[in-house]
Amino acid sequence: MSENTIGKKSLDWVDKRFPVIDLFERHLSKYYSPSNINIWYLFGFLLLIVLVMQILTGLWLMMNYTNTAEGAFSSIEYIMRDVDYGWLIRYMHAGGASAFFALIYLHMFRGMMYGSYQKPRELIWVGGWFVYVLLCAEGFTGYVLPWGQMSFWAAQVIISLVGSIPYFGEDLAIWIRGDYIVSGITLSRLFAFHVVLLPILIIAVVFFHILALHEIGSNNPDGIDVKKHTDQDGVPLDAKPFFPYDITHDFYALGVFLLIFCTVIFFFPEGGGYIIEYVNYEPANPLSTPAHIVPSWYYTPFYAMLRAIDFPLFGLTAKFLGFVVMAAGIAIFAALPWLDRSPVKSIKYKGIFSKVFLAGFVISFFVLAYLGSVPPTETKNMLAKVFTFLYFAYFLLMPFYTRFEKCKPVPERVGDTA
Amino acid sequence: MECDYFEADVSDKASLQRGLSTYMNYCYGCHSLKYSRYKRVAEDLLIPLEMYENNLIFDGSKIGELMEISLTKEDAINWLGAYPPDLTLEARLRRPDWIYTYLRNYYPDSSRPYGVNNRVYQNVNMPHVLEDMQNNLSESQYDQVIYDLTNFMTYVADPSAEQRKRIGTYVLLFLIIFTAFAYMTYREFKKDLK
Repeated sequence: MSENTIGKKSLDWVDKRFPVIDLFERHLSKYYSPSNINIWYLFGFLLLIVLVMQILTGLWLMMNYTNTAEGAFSSIEYIMRDVDYGWLIRYMHAGGASAFFALIYLHMFRGMMYGSYQKPRELIWVGGWFVYVLLCAEGFTGYVLPWGQMSFWAAQVIISLVGSIPYFGEDLAIWIRGDYIVSGITLSRLFAFHVVLLPILIIAVVFFHILALHEIGSNNPDGIDVKKHTDQDGVPLDAKPFFPYDITHDFYALGVFLLIFCTVIFFFPEGGGYIIEYVNYEPANPLSTPAHIVPSWYYTPFYAMLRAIDFPLFGLTAKFLGFVVMAAGIAIFAALPWLDRSPVKSIKYKGIFSKVFLAGFVISFFVLAYLGSVPPTETKNMLAKVFTFLYFAYFLLMPFYTRFEKCKPVPERVGDTA
Repeated sequence: MECDYFEADVSDKASLQRGLSTYMNYCYGCHSLKYSRYKRVAEDLLIPLEMYENNLIFDGSKIGELMEISLTKEDAINWLGAYPPDLTLEARLRRPDWIYTYLRNYYPDSSRPYGVNNRVYQNVNMPHVLEDMQNNLSESQYDQVIYDLTNFMTYVADPSAEQRKRIGTYVLLFLIIFTAFAYMTYREFKKDLK
């Protein structure tokens, strides 16, 4: 290659004014990831792709969507029928929401399994948790926009939870709705949150999350600190540059993900009623309550917790207590770095109690997800209480069982046997 | 009760055309299809626009207009006691097998205002508008009429279904090739690390 090609000259020109080469090296070609990371480390990249897809499809939807109670429902059908490829954009966005949650749950579980939240990655974890909370709000506000029956009643139920707060709850709920019941006023403010405020916050916090990650680097399935052993240039021995080694792996994963995703959106766009609920094909009607109000599948574990608390306590209503437990179920993830007192990171080297409680957490998450999606019965409510208890036991007993259980020694380097 | 088995075939244009004709003649007086346009239906069902305009538009609407009806809410409540819902999305809301079963399960019941009741939807307000047809046709002929009608309603609830599946097949074929190349690239780079 000659030294003075046009390409080289232009790159030099830009680089003197903006650090492109430095950024490329720092975040890609000289950003090292442990050599032992596995399939669980692909979801962050896929989440980023889905975020971009949601922003682009959302932009196109917004060009044709009407944010009024009178026009919202029919504008969705306008998109589905009269806008060229509108059905594709909408199915990508609706399916994208479900994919987003499926991937983020897998991504979070990876962190829990390998102790990625532990020192020194507390801020990466808390930032990621905040993205999840924002995503829950984004999913909820987006769900209301088609203004079908389930949109309306889900909004009614969720906002009425705020009304259960003692003393000022009712006033607060009216302030949030801008009306005495969910109405067009509520719809247009949720629309503003969905397309402006929440996406900006999500992008900002994702940026923070990635910046914090690149400062410290990825954890790995063994929880080994790969920065401890470097060559004379300071390059970690048990690591490889992100570019090109991880990025090629990520693109292969992207292909597999898109095969699954496109099979769903082109051939099963309603996902059997889990991606687009059948009841939502009826326009919102404040005078007729649907027989069963169920949230989207990705909220059902927390909905089950809300319903599990069906008794008042200390003068507080059951509804308010349920709301508190539900919120705590989401909030408690943020405390993980300080609840875990284990000397080791990965579940591979933790003791039997950590394994049993993590398994208990996973089982209770799935059982609660099921219980939150079916009409309640006496037995199911009892089960919901038991599994809510088990869910919280994983977190709240963690300071004790992680401190006293017997851990296995962690190898010094990748590939070593301790 | 359990719904009877129904499997739509929206590629059967003849069935959709018969279903459309039944819908326009028996249902459309009360039940609009207001999210759909005449022209879209004509094009998707391979009906020449002029023929469609002359035979299947009753109120002088333009072919590009939405399929709205002239029955007002006030009149409907005075005459029928309820406003007949728009049915564009009925097949997505209640599912096609429900519609197919519902329309085949009217039975005589003198206690009801129209002398009929329904096994699927107890004490339904809707009269049995296809009663004459059911009385004059054999059971299998009547079932065919209902099949075609339900098939049409399945189509009109999701008119892009055929296009979606066609494009989807090409997208998946492309993705298989993309994934294969991505895998080979990944494997080549992985060799360096050994």
